[in-house]
Amino acid sequence: MRTTVIVTALGPDSHGLLAQVATTIAEQDANIDDVSQTVANGMFTMIMFVSFDQSETTMAQLKEALEATGERIGLQIHVQHENIFRFMHRV
Amino acid sequence: MVFITAEEILETVSMIRSENLDVRAITMGISLDDCADREARRTAERIHAKVVRRAGRLVDVAHELQEKYGIPIVNRRVSLTPIAEVVGSDDPADLVEVAHALDAAAEEVGIDFIGGFSALVQKGFTRSDAALIEAIPEAIGGTRRVCSSVNVASTRAGINMDAVVRMADVVLALAKRTATHDSIGCAKLVVFCNVPEDNPFMAGALHGSGEPEVSINVAISGPGVVRTMVANHPDASLIELADLIKRTTFKITRVGELVAREASQMLDAQMGIIDLSLAPTPAVGDSIAEILQAMGLEQPGAPGTTAALAMLNDAVKKGGTMATSSTGGLSGAFIPVSEDAAMARAAASGALTIEKLEAMTAVCSLGLDMIVVPGDISRNALAGMIADVMAIGMINSKTTGARLIPAYGKQVGEWVKLGGLFGEAPVMPVSAAGNDAFVGRGGRIPAPLQSLTN
Repeated sequence: MRTTVIVTALGPDSHGLLAQVATTIAEQDANIDDVSQTVANGMFTMIMFVSFDQSETTMAQLKEALEATGERIGLQIHVQHENIFRFMHRV
Repeated sequence: MVFITAEEILETVSMIRSENLDVRAITMGISLDDCADREARRTAERIHAKVVRRAGRLVDVAHELQEKYGIPIVNRRVSLTPIAEVVGSDDPADLVEVAHALDAAAEEVGIDFIGGFSALVQKGFTRSDAALIEAIPEAIGGTRRVCSSVNVASTRAGINMDAVVRMADVVLALAKRTATHDSIGCAKLVVFCNVPEDNPFMAGALHGSGEPEVSINVAISGPGVVRTMVANHPDASLIELADLIKRTTFKITRVGELVAREASQMLDAQMGIIDLSLAPTPAVGDSIAEILQAMGLEQPGAPGTTAALAMLNDAVKKGGTMATSSTGGLSGAFIPVSEDAAMARAAASGALTIEKLEAMTAVCSLGLDMIVVPGDISRNALAGMIADVMAIGMINSKTTGARLIPAYGKQVGEWVKLGGLFGEAPVMPVSAAGNDAFVGRGGRIPAPLQSLTN
């Protein structure tokens, strides 16, 4: 079964942030389905829809890897199952 | 894929990360109907075994959901069939033994509180009700995780004043029993009118006789989210503000609905209710008082407080009922003084009085909650306070509760530190006018006209 999670990354902007987050996701055998990213007043904001099969990785592994990357590059990275957004904003 | 906008995603993340949005409690209700035995010791063993068997995975499931959705699930709890209905004994020592079994079971499954050391006595006492009430000071004072509630009134039955007086004695005895810890035992005891059968909040949670074998009830929260939204709209009219609060609580409640659906499935339990309550914590920004301040009151207690709270409470319910078809429990804004730092400050400054809190009780949940009164308060004064709160619930066909803490050895103005989510509060003054003759009459205040609805 394919799981879709939403990855949000927030923090001060610097070079190569998107690339590093994307690399971590690739290393976890997960796929980026959609991405949007902006920088406003020096703050980097990125939202990614990421999907994976349970055979490729688990949410816990992906989360751990992304949080480690976030710590290294100065971003707060959150990984949440898509359902919380669907439930909260759609009936 | 359902289309979700970047704004909506960032709103959700900000609610959780910056505004203290959380699921306040997942509470598993467990029926103890099959645990009764002639011997109290055997009953205690059976209850212990059933709680451990049914709630054994509760903590793990809550953790899994917390990781999956990235939302904190603050408390995991268990509520039980009122113990007085399960233990058929007139010896308080038997009830104390059962309380220790509950405490041990709660510790074993890793939860902080277990509720249901309870009796419903609005019309009168059975022998085991009387034994349970007598056992409360020792049972609650001598355990860490057990919570107790006694229903002494209802719209259908009226107010059992004999029970009110007995509970005043129990509260004072429990305060004394836990005197070395600022009488904290009283934070684990609620006196109710119209007790709900499916309330997920402690200390008053119990699993009523109309409930299924095992249910999952979820308490949502999010005063911080509502406060931020209100503060961000300083120029909104009250009708616009009510609409904004509705929209916000809709979103909060949907999270509760999601967690309740999934948790009940994972735990092989029936999905119970979502409690649409705004429950504060002592953390800055997680406060009902701060919502009232953002609405334009200098402090809670200012003239207009009851009106503001009524609007807030109503808007919360309207938003919440659109988000779930399984509402229940207490469902309203809570005003526990010690658990809401800004509320406690208002009490210390004199802006907020017990009389004002009583008026606020008429338009929200729950009642005179986590209010610290002088340790030398008389039994009758305490009984009168409890009776007043019960009367508001009885006449208005709503749940009210009294969780009063007579801080042993402390006087008006001194602060009492209860710790953790219980917070801290100043000792508040109580009217010194006597009521001995009224309380001394005993008996029952009859069911009001509102009880005749058929």
